[in-house]
Amino acid sequence: MRLAASELVDSREILPGQWLQSYHAPELAVGSRAGQFIHVRTGDFSGMVLRRPFSLNTTDAATGIVTIHFRVIGRGTEWFTRLRPGDTIDLLGPLGRPFEVDPRSRHLLLVAGGLGMAGVRMLADEAIRAGRQVTLLFGAASAREVYPSTLLPDEVEYVVATDDGSLGHHGFVTELVPMYEGWADQAFACGPAPMLAALARLAAGRRGRLGVAKLGRRRGGGRTDPVGSPAARRKAFLQVSMEQNMGCAVGACLGCVVMSTSGTPQRVCREGPVFAAEEIAWEGAW
Amino acid sequence: VRATAGERSGPLPIAADDVDLTVDLGRGLVLPNPILVASGTFGYGVEYGDVVDVDRLGGICCKGTTLKPRIGNPTPRVTETPGGMLNSIGLQNPGVDAVIEKYAATWAAWRAPVLVNVAGESVHDYVEVVRRLDGVPGIAGIELNISCPNVGAGGLQFAIDSAAAAEVTAAVRSATDLPLLVKLSPNVSDIRPIARAIADAGADALTAINTLSGIAVAPDRRRPLLGNIYGGLSGPAVKPVALRVVFEAAQAVKIPVIAIGGVTELADVLDFLAVGAVAIQVGTAIFADPTLPVRLVGELADLCGRQGLTSHRDLIGTALPARAGMPSAKGVEYRP
Repeated sequence: MRLAASELVDSREILPGQWLQSYHAPELAVGSRAGQFIHVRTGDFSGMVLRRPFSLNTTDAATGIVTIHFRVIGRGTEWFTRLRPGDTIDLLGPLGRPFEVDPRSRHLLLVAGGLGMAGVRMLADEAIRAGRQVTLLFGAASAREVYPSTLLPDEVEYVVATDDGSLGHHGFVTELVPMYEGWADQAFACGPAPMLAALARLAAGRRGRLGVAKLGRRRGGGRTDPVGSPAARRKAFLQVSMEQNMGCAVGACLGCVVMSTSGTPQRVCREGPVFAAEEIAWEGAW
Repeated sequence: VRATAGERSGPLPIAADDVDLTVDLGRGLVLPNPILVASGTFGYGVEYGDVVDVDRLGGICCKGTTLKPRIGNPTPRVTETPGGMLNSIGLQNPGVDAVIEKYAATWAAWRAPVLVNVAGESVHDYVEVVRRLDGVPGIAGIELNISCPNVGAGGLQFAIDSAAAAEVTAAVRSATDLPLLVKLSPNVSDIRPIARAIADAGADALTAINTLSGIAVAPDRRRPLLGNIYGGLSGPAVKPVALRVVFEAAQAVKIPVIAIGGVTELADVLDFLAVGAVAIQVGTAIFADPTLPVRLVGELADLCGRQGLTSHRDLIGTALPARAGMPSAKGVEYRP
């Protein structure tokens, strides 16, 4: 974790109201992992007192460029769209814990809902570099909000679902998952909370549907790993990147918690944002 | 910064390193400088890691600590508001025993004194927590949180009633010889009798102010935004209220007042000193600017040096009425 003054290199609106910005931040481009995020200060900090958290969308160690992908939802995100190349902003990161891919996993299923693409996008790069196969299921309200395939690596199999049927599967992206659950060794998801909860339910019943005997490859191994530990995520079939209103993003303020199945609130910024799906209490948390 | 003696032909500049920034709060607690970090915004001092050099702080007020572990309030717990933020963490903490076990040894090695912020639902809770903290190496003092607006039972009720505030202060006072700060709530009609009662009950210093009670509405306008409905407002938006409370409290009591509320730059520090604060806590601004408190220490020393002041103490109380103890606001005070 470090503070870095970073220059905006490129800023463009890739979808209506959705922006992709590239910053020159060599300190963050090296050593950051998929699933981690940065906390960015706005220029008007007596008016907007909080930084804004953004998933690391891509990083390029060779050029020192990191990208973020966001939707304009308020004054803060609107402020970022007015930045021009050459402007410098203050980034804090990398923060949080990354996705953990089991070394034995060959087939990775990525599931993104809407802006959840920003949370899993970098994992596609990492997985392909490691020689893994990646299928990315993406859900959006309509065709005009579908993330452009040109911004994804060619090696990714990209499958789209839209709520209105204007592109790809007509329905929720979660409806596509059963077709891939036998193929996938592990799944990684980011998106709206109801989508993640639905995926968690699917993942919980997967072994039974596939008739997987608890022999041989024993993810879990009988031991329970502490919530938030890398081992707990690595052994999980489904890992989710969680979202929550955030204050400090370093674990000090306890603003961004989610309830865990162990009954202890977990900080999205510190123990997360990536959790094993079974670590999260999806209903009736408090 | 206003034009002061330094810009005239007055005293000669002094090297910033030679400026005495120490603050004596009594009972042996001498802060190395008057810039502290506020409870709830700096965790247990370890979270910011290498980003902040804690040894250059004047003091650290740790996260509110209770007798038993608390899981805190439902989410969302924080939201930004114009010039500030609302929070309703609900005193999530692992309980005093776990706090001592996990952090006290680390704190003992730090130059910056750590004040444990103590919260509770009953006088017995407060006393029991303080008893366990008493004598533990690494714990430099207590900041009594009698004014947390975000917990259902207890908490706030001690801060809005002079007799209750005095009762809990006196009970804690008799349980420990640790330096005792008591944090005031701005959610009262008149702070002065409460401040006096706390001072008379044996507090060593006052901290003012805790957050102002407020709410935000969810974007769909079908419910309040925060999981707890109510939150505490902090940030630059509350600074005028904090200035007023410090101004009133500083004249009502003889014990030192430590100011907190919306500090984002040196000018804010100077304002709070001018209305009688001996030290300042930085809170919400840390989230945007974690290195701000440490920078303020340097900037304050530089300013004193430029003005030829051997200590920041010459900046304290300059905006208070000339006659100490005069009911400053009488006749012109805002009383709707």
